[in-house]
Amino acid sequence: MDMAHPDVGSQLVNICSMLLLVTTFAIVAQRRLSACVDLFALQSVFLGVTAAVVAFLTGIYHIYIAALLTILIKAIIIPLILKRVIERLNVKRELVLNINIPASLLICGALVILAFSVTQPIISLGFLLTKDSLAIALAILLIGFFTMISRRKAVTQVVGFLVVENGIFLGATAAAYGMPLIVELGVFFDVLVAALIIGVFTHRLQDTFDSVDVSKLTGMKE
Amino acid sequence: MSVPLLILIFTPLLAGLLSLVMRTQRALERLQCILAVVLWGSMASVVSSFASGSDVSTGYLLRVDPLSAFMDFMLAFVSGTGLLFAVGYMGEKLIRGEMKLNHYCRFFFFFNFFLFAMLLTVNLDNIALMWISLESSTLAAALLVGFERTKSALEAGWKYVILSFIGIALSLFGTVLMYYASEHVLGVGMEALSLKALYRVSPYLNPAALKLAFIFVLIGYGTKAGVVPMHTWLPDAHAEAPTPVSAILSGLMLNVGLYALLRFKSITDQALGEGFTGPLVLGFGLLSLTVAAFFMLIQKDYKRLLAYSSIEHVGIAMVGFGVGGPLGVFGGFFHMIHHALVKSTAFYSAGGVLLKSGHKEMERITGMLKRLPIAGIGLLLAAMGLAGMPPAGLFVSELLIATSAYRNYPVLTYLFLTLLILTFGALMYHIPHMVLGNTTEKDEPINDRTRNFITTAILINLAAMYYGGFNLPWFLRTMTVPMTGIFGARIEFP
Repeated sequence: MDMAHPDVGSQLVNICSMLLLVTTFAIVAQRRLSACVDLFALQSVFLGVTAAVVAFLTGIYHIYIAALLTILIKAIIIPLILKRVIERLNVKRELVLNINIPASLLICGALVILAFSVTQPIISLGFLLTKDSLAIALAILLIGFFTMISRRKAVTQVVGFLVVENGIFLGATAAAYGMPLIVELGVFFDVLVAALIIGVFTHRLQDTFDSVDVSKLTGMKE
Repeated sequence: MSVPLLILIFTPLLAGLLSLVMRTQRALERLQCILAVVLWGSMASVVSSFASGSDVSTGYLLRVDPLSAFMDFMLAFVSGTGLLFAVGYMGEKLIRGEMKLNHYCRFFFFFNFFLFAMLLTVNLDNIALMWISLESSTLAAALLVGFERTKSALEAGWKYVILSFIGIALSLFGTVLMYYASEHVLGVGMEALSLKALYRVSPYLNPAALKLAFIFVLIGYGTKAGVVPMHTWLPDAHAEAPTPVSAILSGLMLNVGLYALLRFKSITDQALGEGFTGPLVLGFGLLSLTVAAFFMLIQKDYKRLLAYSSIEHVGIAMVGFGVGGPLGVFGGFFHMIHHALVKSTAFYSAGGVLLKSGHKEMERITGMLKRLPIAGIGLLLAAMGLAGMPPAGLFVSELLIATSAYRNYPVLTYLFLTLLILTFGALMYHIPHMVLGNTTEKDEPINDRTRNFITTAILINLAAMYYGGFNLPWFLRTMTVPMTGIFGARIEFP
């Protein structure tokens, strides 16, 4: 392992992780659906870069493959699928929010603090390079869930889910130096199929309900 | 290298792919029946050679330990009858013209893939690959739940997709945390995810990381197992999915979710003792039992009633595992397998009722014993089993769990028993009303071939359920000691 500049390295990884967190906040603050998808693509690019930096600094080469796949699948293919869904559904904006944007941002700030305090006892376990990444990964995961809960449109819920996946992937790459390659390939494959299935479902929902407003799905109670 | 194990896991995948190219109903059905027989045969071979002490592992990825062998037995047995029932039930829909032949083929592709993913999940030695496989089963299940494409089926499917993806994402984070803890002991690489290696080094894993991982996994895989408060997908999915899918979701998939949860519990228990995971699992178990018991009383749809009953039974098994000790853990496993048998019988019978009456409202259905005797008998006996009446095995497991809980948690045991009485009341209030009496409703005619398939599936399950209520088969007997052992508990047979 090439660890010649641990300080510079860990700063770099931290900056990249922070950029991921910033884009997550931007997604929360955004009402336009296509902009949400663009921001998700940008976040995935940052994730790919983070992975590449980790791969370079540690010399674990298979992380390069993961970085490449991240950019290919999450920054290009999945956003394309989502854009097509948005076009077909003819929805542009999230009109009614369950929680307004300033309040959402405050809650997300609280979630970041929560993430740091929960991971405090185990952060010391981490590798020298990437001490804070686990906390940031958990923060992104929690904010992703919050997005899924607070938004109503099916597409934004999907973006929330993908943000959660990005958070987990950051945790796996930056904090744990990547899972073994076969595992990462499997996870990528599953995420891709999941996105496709969600696409299929939104199409069918649109055809059947004339809407992808999830709050209209109220037929079943109890 | 164990050939029966490979046959057991990969035949469903092969059969699924073959289903897609079948041109006639007859050929497809013959294929599915062959699959059922192959599953039973290879399972018998795997389980008996494992129980008699030989090593059935293949490579370093597929490794059978007592818990896997137990799950193999449960999955293959119920899958077999599930396939027979699916051929009967979906075939009837095809004959009635409610679906086309290519849909019929596609249904079996997803169905077989679903079985394959579950069988793979329980035999993998690697916790991350186990996650991937479980996720694949979720994807197949999501398509199966929304298969009928009605408004409510799509709604249920969407709910299932979103909630189970949340759950599955949380459990992936838990898996990452486990890896984070283990790579400091085992080094970066595949070995740090291997269950065998994790069991070996569990005392050296960082306790704080283990605890955090377990909490994520409890919520994550708990969602798959239908634990309250992450259960909200379950009643909708079970009610709206085609009935064979409901049977497999309820009888098998919940147990596979519980299996994944138990894997993490056992690693955590070996490192920290039962003091940390026990109360958490017990608490969620009791909560599930409580919520399900009250919701069962007010149901109007019999498939939803059975769905809530599944939440209840997962809760009971979790109470057993949470209480711990040899009796509690054994009670939990005994409960899992008997619930799989009894609940699938109940759904097979409910499928018969649905074919005969064409709707799901309990109020309007009476006299099933006369209209479709096998469904009436099956439903009545299964409901008695689910309510915990002897000689069904669920009586034994509930007794074991209550006995072992009483030592440490006397007050909670009273609560537990009260809730059991409540669910007993709910089932006995709803089900006999459907089975007994006369009816003025119009019956849909059912073809003889469908009746034969449903009868076979129900009779095989009933036989196993009553045999297992009186006896512990020899292979389960030899597996029980090591199975309870992985939680740090020891059981002795006289």
